[in-house]
Amino acid sequence: MAKETPKERPTNQVLIELLMQNVGKISTIIEKQGQSIFGHKNLLSNNEINDYSLEFLELLTMLLHAGEKVDRRGPEYKALRQFFANFSQQIQVRGGDMDEFVRYVHFLQGTFLENLEADKSISFEKAREILLVLGTIFNDIILEVFHIYLEGKEKTIEAQQEELKQTSTPITEIWEGVLTLPIIGSLDSSRTMIVMEKLLSRIESDRARVVVIDVTGVMAIDSQVSHHLIQMIRATGLMGATAILTGIRPEIARALTSLNIDLSAVTTRSKLSEGLKEAFRQLSIEVSRPGSKL
Amino acid sequence: MIEGIHLTPIGDGNVLLEPGEGLDPSAPETIVAPVLDFLQRNEARRLVYDLKTVRLIDEIYYTWLIKLCATCRIANVEMVTVNMQPAAAYALSLTLDQPPPFTCVLDIHHLR
Repeated sequence: MAKETPKERPTNQVLIELLMQNVGKISTIIEKQGQSIFGHKNLLSNNEINDYSLEFLELLTMLLHAGEKVDRRGPEYKALRQFFANFSQQIQVRGGDMDEFVRYVHFLQGTFLENLEADKSISFEKAREILLVLGTIFNDIILEVFHIYLEGKEKTIEAQQEELKQTSTPITEIWEGVLTLPIIGSLDSSRTMIVMEKLLSRIESDRARVVVIDVTGVMAIDSQVSHHLIQMIRATGLMGATAILTGIRPEIARALTSLNIDLSAVTTRSKLSEGLKEAFRQLSIEVSRPGSKL
Repeated sequence: MIEGIHLTPIGDGNVLLEPGEGLDPSAPETIVAPVLDFLQRNEARRLVYDLKTVRLIDEIYYTWLIKLCATCRIANVEMVTVNMQPAAAYALSLTLDQPPPFTCVLDIHHLR
């Protein structure tokens, strides 16, 4: 009977044996390195690092047991990816960044390779195959985590943009039938749509007759922004309310003139307070100090 | 009785026009004459067009409104729209490059 040599053993088998033989050593190194990477910023407690290390070794062993070739669609592979996805999310939630996580994954890979070098019974060809398997697994993990990281960042940016859009257009009923809309920042098409939608709905629900649009917070104006402003004023008029434009700073006025934007049909006032006075005048509302008419 | 339109004198020279399901805005010529006849018979000074049920004002509908307004003007009747819906106002504002020839008022209670 021919003696089975390590060269003839399948790659996953060699890796499993390597893991079994050195599990104590590998887990100790992993835990130690994990503590050095995640411990100093209190990203993970020692217990968590130990639990994660053990879970990782368990999942990796299960994946290697599943077959000679790594099946990316298999439940074992999905479980390992999910493990790293959860792991990286936890690191991010606690203020860690991708660098720390990628360093850790690289370190895991390095630990296996060091143990591989120490085993003299493994041939060069087999070592190359193992390297390929490990490289595939760890590169996929990094890629997956990177996607999750990017998705998380994109979601955060979208949520912040949405919040900014909502909070930067506070429509207030300052008096019965009078709405104020201070515009801060720039007016692009998507923001105009949101502002107009909110404004027209408020005109309808509050039965507003005058809307004071204050552009003191608009830093720059171009033809597109001015077009959006005129559109907003026109839509307000179609609803049956009157728009008063206030807070046009000198540089904005100069820009409007050079852009040949005609605001002659629009009621304008220098300041928000002047706009409110005009709104009250249109509604025949008189605001006076107590006793001033005596 | 005009198909797709309900006309009601509401006093003080005002006539309320409520468009119905059967109104065909693509053929204004057939509708404006009987409307004008009703306005003159009732000695109307103002036609109040209620847009409450009109969800969208497209080019065809807007042309119908303009033609009706022009006819009213010939008969010295002012045309006022009321209750334009936010979505309709938004869509219409995107297509207009000048203000409409008729007056827009929030609702019937805000008529001056």
